[in-house]
Amino acid sequence: MEVRKSFHEKLEELYLDLIRMGNLTIETVERTQVAFANLDQQLAGKIIEGDDDLDAYVTRIDGNGIGLLARQAPVAIDLRTIIVIMRLSQHLERVGDLCVNISKAISNMGGYTPAPWIMDNMDEMFKRSRNMIVQAMDSFKDRDEKLAEELTKMDDKVDRINRAFLTTYDKECEENEIELVIRVVMISRFLERIADRAVDIGEEVRYLVTGEFAD
Amino acid sequence: MMADTDNKMRIEDLSMYYGSFKALEDVDLDVPARRITALIGPSGCGKSTLVRCLNRMNDLVDGTRVEGEVVLDDRNIYSPGYDTIQLRRTVGMVFQRPNPFPKSIYENVAYGPRLVGIKGKQELDSIVEESLRKAALWDEVKANLRESGLNLSGGQQQRLCIARVIAVQPEVILFDEPCSAIDPVATQLIEDLMADLKKNYTMVIVTHNMQQAARVSDFTAFMLVLEQGDPGRLIEYDETNKIFTKPDDERTERYITGRFG
Repeated sequence: MEVRKSFHEKLEELYLDLIRMGNLTIETVERTQVAFANLDQQLAGKIIEGDDDLDAYVTRIDGNGIGLLARQAPVAIDLRTIIVIMRLSQHLERVGDLCVNISKAISNMGGYTPAPWIMDNMDEMFKRSRNMIVQAMDSFKDRDEKLAEELTKMDDKVDRINRAFLTTYDKECEENEIELVIRVVMISRFLERIADRAVDIGEEVRYLVTGEFAD
Repeated sequence: MMADTDNKMRIEDLSMYYGSFKALEDVDLDVPARRITALIGPSGCGKSTLVRCLNRMNDLVDGTRVEGEVVLDDRNIYSPGYDTIQLRRTVGMVFQRPNPFPKSIYENVAYGPRLVGIKGKQELDSIVEESLRKAALWDEVKANLRESGLNLSGGQQQRLCIARVIAVQPEVILFDEPCSAIDPVATQLIEDLMADLKKNYTMVIVTHNMQQAARVSDFTAFMLVLEQGDPGRLIEYDETNKIFTKPDDERTERYITGRFG
């Protein structure tokens, strides 16, 4: 027998809204990758404009989440679910902001042609960061603590690629490429932060499943 | 008015007296159609008195009188000559203590329709079944319709009372602390039922359980007696979401956060 059907339906709607936001965030990362690969300034502009959509999700999820907390006095898994959904929306919104930052950097790279090894490296970082967000959201959907835990190792890898890239870049770049260097280094850093956000999402999932906070 | 629906009832400048004692003062309140409006406030604030004004139940107490209007579908129910019998069919009531008649489950529900002249067995059977279905009780009692309504559990008796109200085709259903005498699971069943009933009926619920008002209602009215001996007043009325997240009046906030008795 199930009671409080109306509350559970609203909770389900909140959950689905967060899933949709997750999908939009992953799509945004993918589009940002395409924008970078092609140094497509028009696409970069669209990504910047589209950030309002992600912001709208946060506002709605916050409002609905707070309403449920105020009116339904949720407990146990329902309470943790609402709290985690609200926190996840903040992390996803931040990923969107990082994509905006990357897009702004792309917009200032007109006229440059980064060397293939740079593009390959960045492509690798884009892929890994994108995959981490996907896995983070999967861990949430499946309430899978193990999947969430793997994100820490994946993040270490992204950090190592980022550090190696910066070391190599330092040796390889030309004097007249300083603008390009700055942009590419920034983008690398933003991608590393996207990966960090995936780890944060994983920690929220761990709290959701175990009810315990990370040390 | 912030509702996305019209008002089924409007309370306009209502004051109510028990003899010389003023029980309510200058209440203005909208009751939106097919929504649930909750009345909350400390004991003695006048919420039950107010809800009983909506179907003139207070008329049954000697010496009561009202000033102002209660409008149902654009007619003031306190206008001279208003049909109070029909009013109490249109605006039904469910009370705090379940009060089924000492009759069978079937007869409890059929009683009202019989009174208005419905005699045919098939028609009565159909009304009884439909009313019990709408009250989410049919599956539990369909095999025992001839048993006494008094043999049911408290929660079932209350749903039987709701079926009894539904059987005479109300448009508004008033609930005066409907769950205070029944257990928490039965309470939840009735709250779920109210959410379903919203599709067809306008509802007003008086409850001293704030959390219930928060869970179940679309609009909440907070009432208060400011000083001992004063009449009850409406302090704040708004969408329930607003009342329980950011009420405008400090007195409302003190009450709902438990900082006020």
